[in-house]
Amino acid sequence: MSENVNTLSIAERLGKVAYRNQGRTEAKPHILVETDICNTTCPHKCTTYVCPANCYTLDEVGKVHFQFEDCIECGTCMYACDQGAVTWRYPDPEDGRGVNWNMG
Amino acid sequence: MDERFDCIIVGGGPAGLAAAMTLARADARFLLVERGEWSGAKNVSGGVLWGRDLARLVPNYWEEEDAGWERFVNHRRLTFMDDGASFSLDFKSDHFNTPPYTGLTVLRSRFDAWLAGKVDEVLEESEHGESLLATDILVEEVIKENDKVTGIRAGGEEFFADCVILAEGVNNLLTRQVGLQTDYVPAEGLAVGVKEVIRFEESVLRDRFQLGERSGMSNEFVGYASDGVEGGGFLYTNRDSVSIGLVLGMADLRKAGKKPYDLLNQFKTHPTVADAIRGGEVLEYNAKVVSTGDMRVMPKEIYADGVLVAGEAANLVLNAGRAIQGMDYAMRSGILAAETVVEAKKVQDFSEAFLQHYRTALDNSYVMQDLRGFQQAVQVLHSPAMFQQVPRLVCDFGREFFTVDNKPTKKAYQILRDVRKEHIGYWDLIKLGSRAARAL
Repeated sequence: MSENVNTLSIAERLGKVAYRNQGRTEAKPHILVETDICNTTCPHKCTTYVCPANCYTLDEVGKVHFQFEDCIECGTCMYACDQGAVTWRYPDPEDGRGVNWNMG
Repeated sequence: MDERFDCIIVGGGPAGLAAAMTLARADARFLLVERGEWSGAKNVSGGVLWGRDLARLVPNYWEEEDAGWERFVNHRRLTFMDDGASFSLDFKSDHFNTPPYTGLTVLRSRFDAWLAGKVDEVLEESEHGESLLATDILVEEVIKENDKVTGIRAGGEEFFADCVILAEGVNNLLTRQVGLQTDYVPAEGLAVGVKEVIRFEESVLRDRFQLGERSGMSNEFVGYASDGVEGGGFLYTNRDSVSIGLVLGMADLRKAGKKPYDLLNQFKTHPTVADAIRGGEVLEYNAKVVSTGDMRVMPKEIYADGVLVAGEAANLVLNAGRAIQGMDYAMRSGILAAETVVEAKKVQDFSEAFLQHYRTALDNSYVMQDLRGFQQAVQVLHSPAMFQQVPRLVCDFGREFFTVDNKPTKKAYQILRDVRKEHIGYWDLIKLGSRAARAL
């Protein structure tokens, strides 16, 4: 393994993303997830690993939790979820979250 | 607002801006609505803009000092990898050095903003001055009357036009709303792209990659890069940074149970890649859903009464092994959609029957000819052997062929025969080879 290579944790990576409306105490969620489906009938819970921003996490008893605040609007979850649990919309520019890419 | 436009364009990326530029030059009255705070604020690509279509929109763009592109590509490399080695096809040629260039590295937040500025310049020069690029507004809904698209609802207001061009990108919610795309698009036929932009001192970057003032390199990677998952890696040089990332088949990633950002870390620690990016500072991490060129996930149609679909909203992206093309397709489709609108305006006919001319024009362009002609290539490149056995075989061959260790040396064909046996059946290789030869 080579030295000095900047491998980053997902938290460090998301720390480099400029999110919108950071000052707002409560942003409006743009993705709705019926975690009841994830936690009852879903055989793979794939969003907990395919999401590039780790917005879907498993707790210690294996339950899926979703938070939209770190979402970088890629859309992966709306295709990867084949169980109908994800309702995906774009964030509202005014009171939603979402990104402002500096590089893109 | 009770003004009426000839055309409303949804999305200020390359497709939408190409349409806007075309309409601006034809003096058509349009409204472009972009949800980002600026054009590019929501947009991500690998990214290389291939081909010469940019010169159609901004003639002599290369003469402008602060144009929005990073470097022109005059050095191309395709690298096969296993866990310890890499074997590259490397091509550099001075014929790439003459503008209009055939490949430009871009960072979309800058590039799209620059291109939007060029459209604004044309609008300022035009006499009418009634067209508009509006940013920071999300289009919530397409308005339909009697099955014909007549406008949009955005920011609580309604805007009306003779037709609407949807250039909303791969997550084409409005294309679905008007019924041209299915409500649920399955993961098969789509990929996830993850990327980092890593900064270097410009002199360091130029020395490390042997770059000229504005020349650059594009490098694609197959094999270990994606750790057995369908897909591959890329590294492109920008002015003072590199874009490095992976494009991973979404269904395969789901099946493999792997995290895209873990795979990105693994790719970055491969000895070959680690040497290339040592000492850089990560500026940004991005992700994007990417169309793969599989026509089975394309919208059923790209036009209907009063509406046209352009760019990646129509899944116009192709990776046939030579280049991942998409931004050029976006521009060309945007131009052709807008040209159809200009013609429709002349005869005041925005019906489905007339807008079909867009479909014909796109079919006759390189965009659909390549997408159709390379469907087999898309399938071959998705076959596991291409990103598993083949790169390992190539690297094993290289390891033996390039190693001098003062033992009796095997001839190349013997090495090839021996490493082939380890990785893939003879007939499987022949079959794959002949399929690839026909498809690529």
